[in-house]
Amino acid sequence: MPWFRLLPRLYAVSTGLVFAGWRWRRLQICSRFSFLLAGLAASCRSCPFPFYAVKILIVEDEAPLRTTLLEFLRHDGYVCEVAENYAQAHEKIKLYQYDCVLVDLTLPDGSGLDLVRTLKADKSIAGVLIISARGSLDDKVQGLELGADDYLQKPFHLAELNARLRAIIRRRQFQGQRHIAFRDLTIFPDQSLVLVKDQPLTLTRREYDLLLFLLANPNRVLTKEAIAEHIWGDDADMADSFDFIYTHFKNLRKKLQEHGADNYIRTIYGLGYKLETA
Amino acid sequence: MKLLARTNRYYLGLSALLFVLGTGLLYGGLQYALAHEVDEQLQQQRVYLTERIRATGALPTITMPQELTIDGPTRSESLRDTIIFDTIEHEAVPFRVISFPVAVRGQPHWLTLRKSLLETEDILKVILMVMLAVMTLLFGSLLLLNQWLSRWLWAPFRRTLKALRGYQLQQPQSLELPETPIDEFSELNQAVAQLTQRVAADYRALKEFTENAAHETQTPLAIMQAQLEQLVQDPELPERTLAAVQDVYRAARRLSRLHQALTLLSKIENRQFGSDGRPVQLDGVVQEKLRQLQDFMEAKAVNPQVDPLPPVALVMHPALAESLVGNLLQNAVKHNVQGGQLQVRLTAAALEITNTGPELRTDPMLLLGRFRKHNAASDSPGLGLSIAEQICTYYGFRLTYAYAPVGSLHTLRVTF
Repeated sequence: MPWFRLLPRLYAVSTGLVFAGWRWRRLQICSRFSFLLAGLAASCRSCPFPFYAVKILIVEDEAPLRTTLLEFLRHDGYVCEVAENYAQAHEKIKLYQYDCVLVDLTLPDGSGLDLVRTLKADKSIAGVLIISARGSLDDKVQGLELGADDYLQKPFHLAELNARLRAIIRRRQFQGQRHIAFRDLTIFPDQSLVLVKDQPLTLTRREYDLLLFLLANPNRVLTKEAIAEHIWGDDADMADSFDFIYTHFKNLRKKLQEHGADNYIRTIYGLGYKLETA
Repeated sequence: MKLLARTNRYYLGLSALLFVLGTGLLYGGLQYALAHEVDEQLQQQRVYLTERIRATGALPTITMPQELTIDGPTRSESLRDTIIFDTIEHEAVPFRVISFPVAVRGQPHWLTLRKSLLETEDILKVILMVMLAVMTLLFGSLLLLNQWLSRWLWAPFRRTLKALRGYQLQQPQSLELPETPIDEFSELNQAVAQLTQRVAADYRALKEFTENAAHETQTPLAIMQAQLEQLVQDPELPERTLAAVQDVYRAARRLSRLHQALTLLSKIENRQFGSDGRPVQLDGVVQEKLRQLQDFMEAKAVNPQVDPLPPVALVMHPALAESLVGNLLQNAVKHNVQGGQLQVRLTAAALEITNTGPELRTDPMLLLGRFRKHNAASDSPGLGLSIAEQICTYYGFRLTYAYAPVGSLHTLRVTF
C-alpha cells in the first residue's frame, strides 16, 4: 500500500478526539503564563482543549489568508502568533515554544521546509502542519519525511484545517484514554463507540465520520463542499455527493433524536450544516 | 552499419582498384624489360658469332638447333617474335628471333638466333600471386589495426554514449564526462555536457513554472475560499447575499479543481514524475478505489461485477496509478445509469472497465480529449479521461474507448 494512502486513515483515526481533562505532566511542562491564559481559553465555549491554551504559530506570507487564519483560530480558542516571512518565523520558533506550527512552504525569503528542518533539529515538541499551494508530490513527500505531521494543499476548507490541527495536537500532547464529550454525547474514538446519555448509539461508518467531523468544528457552518471533500476526498465532485450528505445527515439526526439528543445538527439552507453547542 | 565496416569497405574497394592497376603495370613493365633484355642478348650473340666466323673462317657447329640454325640465302635481316611448338612440353612457346647474314669465304649464309621468352601465363601467375599475398597481408593487418583502434581509441566515445544513455533529466547533477586526450572526443563531450546543462536548465524552468503557476493561482483561491467560509459564519447575512456568496464559493472550488487537473496534466506531459516508479499492485488499487466509490455505486444501485483480480504489479508512480484507476472507475460510476452494470476485468495484459451509460452518437475516442464531456452542462471540467489517457501515454500503455449500442455499453480498456 502506498504511503500516502495511510495518511487519511491515520488522520481519520485521530480526528476529533477531544481530551476533556488535563494531566499533571502537561501542567508541569506548560509555562506559568500559558496556565494563566488557560483560564481565559477555558471560558471560550468552543475551546478545543479546555484548561489549556494551545499555542499556534501561523507562518503565511499572504496577508489576507494570514488574517483569516488568525481570526478563525483565535475564535476557536487557540493562542495564535503570526509570522509573515522566513526570518520572523525562524526567530519565533527559536525563541518560543509552540504546540503547533502552520507552515506555508513558499515564503518570500526562504523555504518553509527549512523551518521544518529547524524545528526537528531543535527537537521541538511542536506539531507541524504544512499548508502549500504547490501540489508538488516531491514537496509533500519531503515535508512528511522531514517530520511534518500533515500536509494540506491550498485551497483548503477551514473546517478541514481545524480537524487536522486538532488531530495533530492531540496526537502530540495527550496520551491515554481519549474520549470526546459534547453535551449529552460521549465518543470513544478508539473503539468507535458513541454514547448518548450513556446509551450506545449504532451508526454507519459514514454517519460516524460525519459526526466526528462536526465535533471537530462545533458551532460552525460546515459547507457541503467541505463535508464532501472530507468524506470522499478526490471523489467529492461526483454529482451525487451532496444528496448522500443530505441522506446521511437525515439518518444521523433521526438516530440522535431517537436517543433524546434533539437539535444537535442544524441545517443551514442551501449551504451546509452546523453542530449547535446548545 | 558500423563506421568501421564502412571504412573497411572503402579501403577494400580502393585496394582492389590499386591491385588491378598495379598488376597491369607490373605485367606490362616486366614484359617490356624481359623482351628488351632478350633483344640485347641476341644482338650480343650476333656480334660474337660474326666476330668468331670472321676469325675462324668457318660456320659454327649447330649444337642446339632450337637456338641457332643456318638457313639458305633467301632471308631478309629481321628481329621478330615467333611461336615454336615445343615437342617435349607439348605446348607453344614464344621465341624472339634474329636473322642476319654472314659471309664465310665470300659465300653468304644466313644465321637465325632464337631465344625463348618467359611465358606470359607464368608471369601473370607469379604477379597475381605476389600481389594477392601483399593485398591479403595489407588488408588483414588493416582489419586488426582497426579492431585495436576501435577498442582503444574509441573507448571515450563509448563511455560518452553510455553516460548519455543513462542520463535522466530529473537527476540534479549535470552529466559528468571523463577527460580524453583526443580533440574530437573532448569536443563532443563538451558539446554534450553543454547540451545536457541547457536541457536540464530548461527542464527545471518548466518545472518551476508549473509549480509557480500552481502557487500563484491556488493562493488567491485559498484566500477567496477561506474568506467566503468565514463570511457564511455570519448569522446576520441576508439570504440574497448568502446565495451570491455560495455561488462564488462554488465557482472558486471549481476553478481550483480545474487548475489542479490542468497542473497534473502538464506535469505528466513534462515528465515530472520521472523515475519515481516502483511496482504498484494494481489489483489493490482497483479494490481500494471501488471501496471508495461504494457510496456512489450504492446510490445508483450499481452492483459491480468484479472478476477475481489476479495480482498485477506495474512499475508506476503510485500517485499516477491511483489517478489512472480512479479516473476510469469514477467515469464508469458517474456516467452510469440507475441500476446499471459495471464490470471490471484485470489481467496481466489489460484493465478493462465496462459500464452501461447514456447513448453515444459521436466517436467515443473523442471523449478522451480535453474538456470533452458527454453532458455539456455538467460541473466537472471533463479532464478525467484526458488525465487517464495522458498517464497511459506516459507509461506506453494504450487507452481505448469502445461503445456498443446493444445495451449501451461503454468499454474503457487500458492495454499495458
